[in-house]
This record gives sequence, C-alpha cells and structure tokens, in this order.
Amino acid sequence: MTPNGIPLSDVLLASGALFSIGLAGALLRRNAISIFLALELMMNAANLAILGYASALHSLEGQIVVFFVIAIAAAEAAVGLAIFVALFRHTETIDVNKINLLKW
Amino acid sequence: MTVRFAFDVAAGLAILFACVMVVHRHPVKSVLALVVSFFALAVTFVLLSAPLIAAIQVIVYAGAILVLFLFVLMLLNVPAEVRQTPGRPIHHTLSAGAIVAFAAALLAAFRSYGATAAPPAPAASDPADLAPLAKLLFSDHLLSFEALSILLLAALVGAFALARREGGP
Repeated sequence: MTPNGIPLSDVLLASGALFSIGLAGALLRRNAISIFLALELMMNAANLAILGYASALHSLEGQIVVFFVIAIAAAEAAVGLAIFVALFRHTETIDVNKINLLKW
Repeated sequence: MTVRFAFDVAAGLAILFACVMVVHRHPVKSVLALVVSFFALAVTFVLLSAPLIAAIQVIVYAGAILVLFLFVLMLLNVPAEVRQTPGRPIHHTLSAGAIVAFAAALLAAFRSYGATAAPPAPAASDPADLAPLAKLLFSDHLLSFEALSILLLAALVGAFALARREGGP
C-alpha cells in the first residue's frame, strides 16, 4: 500500500499488463521503428513498477533509478534512430523481414 | 479511495492506448497512441508521489523522444505494414500462446508479491519537496550522474557518425 492509498498490486498489475503488451508489439510488428516503440513501452512498464515499489517503501532511490533509465532511453533512441536512418540509406527499407544480410 | 480510482483510470487509459499502439499497422498512428499512453503514465507517476519523474516523462519522453521518432518516420516515409498474404497459422498460434503464457506468469508473480510488501517506517515527507531528491542525486549518485553526461555526449557523437552521409563533409 502506497502512502496515497494505492495498493501495490494495482501498480504491479498495470505494469505487468503494459510490459506484456510491449512484448507482443515487439514480437508482432515487422517495422523496425514500431518494434523500437514497443521497447520504449516495456521500459516505461518497468519504470512504473520501480516507482510503485519506491512509493510503497518510502524510498527516494527508486526515483533516481527511473531518472537514469529515462536519460539512457533518450541516448538509446538517438543512436537507434540514427542506425535506422543509415540502414534505410543502404537498403531502402526498414522491414525487419527484408533486412536479412546476416541471416545465414 | 478516490486516489486509487484515479490511478486505476489513468493506468487503464495507458493500457488501452498501448493496445491501440500495438494493433495499428501505420507507425505514425502508433506513435500518437503511445504519446497518449505516456501522458496517462505521467498521471500515474504523480499519484505515486513522483512529480519530478512525471514532469520528465512529459518533457523528455512524450516531448523529445517521441517527436524524434515522429521526425524519423516522416523523414523515411515509412508505409503502413501490409498483411502477409500466405499467412503462417502455426507461427501466429505459437507466438500468441507464448505471449499469453508470459503475461499470465508475470501477473501471477506480481500478484503474490504485491500482497506481502510490508511498509517500513514512514518517512512522512512532502512529495513536492525536491530538496531531498536533489541532495541524494548530487551526493550519493554524483558519479553516475556525471557518467550519464558522458554517455549522452557519446550517444550524440555516435548518432552523428552513424547518420552522416558517407564521403560527405
């Protein structure tokens, strides 16, 4: 139970549902940018669980961890999108089924 | 229990728009649905007494990162996915089964955890007061903070090197 009266189970259920939806998106989509978006959603589900526990345990460390996660997500998005732009310049597509240069 | 109700509504909205994001075949619509989902998540962060993280979520995530996604989508002119004509029913059944099994296992594990987390001594601090957070960030976690700034610089240089036209200036 968090100080605001939100049971921890609600937070964890929401977090687990969001993570599963993100996993489904990462597995089902074929467009590389959509897969990347699903990964961002999974990272946010993890952030929600961390903040829920931080609130229930009256700890500030959780907020610091989430702060670092968001900053690293920004760096990751910049590098990942640069990779997609470079990839698109070479192959004219970002469909992950058509990018199979390293597939045996 | 109104706070709990508000939390459930916001979390439900986040989940709903996450589903919209996953089922849409057009990537631009996916990004816009994810923006709404992240705004709803920011509301849940406020209710979990983390207003600073909620502000960062709106400004950095919904504001900067998703706009970067949208920019690249517009730049590359990514088309909507077309349905694969042959279809592979075995693949679909197996992946749907795997996702459902994973979700069930995750939710079952979380259910048993959420009930037993005992609250320790309450600190009773005002969540809007950012001074303790800043003190913690710039004392115990100062080294990580500085390492993060180097990481962001490296990502900036790396993104520039990757996206640069080869043989250009």
